[in-house]
Amino acid sequence: MKLPTNRPAWLTLERLAKLPAKLAGRLPRFPDEIRLPIPERVRKSMPVFMRTTTFKLAMLYSLMIAAFSGALLAYLYYSTVYYIRVESERRITVEFEQLANAYYTGGMERLSQSVFERMTLSGSPFYYYLEDTSGRKIAGHFPRLPDDPPESGMKTVYFDFELPQSDGTKVLRPAAGRIVRLRDNGGSLMVAFDTAQQTVIVDRIQSAILVAAPVALILSLLGGVLITRGAARRAEELAKTAEAVIGGELSRRVPVRGTGDEFDRLAQRINAMLDQIGKLVEASQNTGNAIAHDLRSPLTRLRNRLELALASPMTEQDASNTLGETVEEVDRVLDTFNAILRLARLDAGTEGLRVRMDLSEVAEELAELFDPACEEAGLTFRSQITRNQLVLGDRELIGQAISNLIDNAIKYTPQGGSISLSVTRGAEAMIDLTVLDTGPGIPEGDRSKVIQRFHRMDSARTQPGSGLGLSLVQSVAELHGGELVLADGNGPPDRPGLRATLRLPRA
Amino acid sequence: MADTLHHRALKVLVIEDDNEMASFIEKVLEDAGHEVECARDGAAGLARARAEDFDALVVDRMLPEKDGLTLIREFRDAGGTTPALFLSALGDVQNKVQGLKAGAEDYLGKPFVPAELAARVEALGRRQTGEPQVTSLKAGDLEMNLLTRKVTRAGKKIDLQPREFRLLEYLMRHAGQVVTRTMLLEKVWDYNFDPQTNVIDVHVSRLRSKIDKEFSEPLLQTVRGAGYRLQG
Repeated sequence: MKLPTNRPAWLTLERLAKLPAKLAGRLPRFPDEIRLPIPERVRKSMPVFMRTTTFKLAMLYSLMIAAFSGALLAYLYYSTVYYIRVESERRITVEFEQLANAYYTGGMERLSQSVFERMTLSGSPFYYYLEDTSGRKIAGHFPRLPDDPPESGMKTVYFDFELPQSDGTKVLRPAAGRIVRLRDNGGSLMVAFDTAQQTVIVDRIQSAILVAAPVALILSLLGGVLITRGAARRAEELAKTAEAVIGGELSRRVPVRGTGDEFDRLAQRINAMLDQIGKLVEASQNTGNAIAHDLRSPLTRLRNRLELALASPMTEQDASNTLGETVEEVDRVLDTFNAILRLARLDAGTEGLRVRMDLSEVAEELAELFDPACEEAGLTFRSQITRNQLVLGDRELIGQAISNLIDNAIKYTPQGGSISLSVTRGAEAMIDLTVLDTGPGIPEGDRSKVIQRFHRMDSARTQPGSGLGLSLVQSVAELHGGELVLADGNGPPDRPGLRATLRLPRA
Repeated sequence: MADTLHHRALKVLVIEDDNEMASFIEKVLEDAGHEVECARDGAAGLARARAEDFDALVVDRMLPEKDGLTLIREFRDAGGTTPALFLSALGDVQNKVQGLKAGAEDYLGKPFVPAELAARVEALGRRQTGEPQVTSLKAGDLEMNLLTRKVTRAGKKIDLQPREFRLLEYLMRHAGQVVTRTMLLEKVWDYNFDPQTNVIDVHVSRLRSKIDKEFSEPLLQTVRGAGYRLQG
């Protein structure tokens, strides 16, 4: 036997947990795009701001306001009219009750008397008419009944009558009345009510609504237009800037008004994007220049050598030597070429992964990799690596950057010197990886130059390498949101050594 | 047994559309003693690779008809097991990762040093014939136990650092073959860049001093212009 539960089987906790998300999915979403049913031809000829989403939204909004206020006004109108009607009905009923009282206690005589009395009462809003069975008038304001009396019971009538004025003229007044067939001898009594005032009130309300509604609609539309025109203008500024940039004016930027609104934020983003594009264009131009500068001369040298070899008779040994040298030269050109491409891709930001990785581990690995080579070169290598320094980065690129720094140190530090690699926690959530050597160092004025593409200090022209080592470190640092800082080492002023710090943000 | 294996010529299929490059690769591999067949486009290459049992494929990435990545992917999906090497001008680490993901065993950027290609193709071709699960390696009188991590030569124990152990392990797994510096940096250190300092040479010479110093017959040889070879 299964135990009865209050909970249906399908109502599991997991399902309950998923419910909010499900409900959210079912909720009606505000339309992303509003398409008003406007013919394409008309749409094309509309001013720009009228074609904007904001304008359409304002339009929709004002239409909604119009609909709501229309409903409100209609309610107001009908409830007022209804109240007036009910009120007059009630008063006529009261009047009839009193007259009926007179009729039942004193018959036709008492009734006619009562009617006469009431007719002379000043300020009464009621009009009367009383006739006998044969239809002859006994008393009343009117010459005759506006309508045939009912066979029995009562009926309601609406009519106009001529009201004599004190100056002898007559005014047509609207009235509502009730005709009652009297019992027993069957005469008819009508009590009517001047509805002129009511009609005026109702007319007032009607005309007020008729005037107010379109005015409200026009005002809300106008408001919408005014509001959206500002937005449309700013969107237009964006479009103009984009057009200018497309037209080659890469320095154009979207004006920022400093209001901090969405448009300002959008403008700032777009400007940042344009800055980035500008940087990329500059980088590719630099790459072009670099290729021209750094590849043309070795290629020319190569060509000259081959030309010379071709022109002069040589022994097999000479030829073999020349070919060997040529291959070496070509390899260098290819290395440089690869380095240029690598840098260009780094600058474009398309290179490299960003994963959480232990910088200390990479540093340890490279220390272990380079330690024997340093020893072989007659240098003391020390490493001091703080463990577990995590960064978001590409192990390969960072490894290459560190390798370049150590390569550079080995290249410039004379025998007997020392190189140290350290990883420490730097300031402000940064991690400092420092390679310190006891070489000649780099004079302060030249530091920014060595980071630039294809600069190699003249004293170093004889050393191998494409001269892109530090540039690559710089690019890798920038790609990871860090920097390369060059400073003097710990040596004496004439040979200070170089302290190269790759500073990366901590993950 | 080992010797006959090492001197067996490999049957290599080269899929490369550039005529000059194709004949260069052909020459390099033939000089290394292999038998080479060339295909000029991706579709033809795939058809050949499926039709015949090659020892290794050398595939360019940018090919007419069918690009190299697709070719290898389709070949692997259909159950092809022939080891493949991408040889491509797209030589970046990311390109390399793409190539290996597509199902290739190795990746070499153009331009390349002939010896590098020969060494890598050799390594590929051997891969298929090597026993899948070994617990010990042997090269001459040098023995390595992969479980106890004990290395002995002629019964004499040799102490190695962890990295030296991995370096020797790689060399022993490819005993008799030429192994280049780049291959060592890639497989033993897992880095793909090219340090300007000859870091690998120093590591190899340290290892050599440990395994060869007290013995008359050197096992670890330097192959000029190419790399190293551990005598099998």
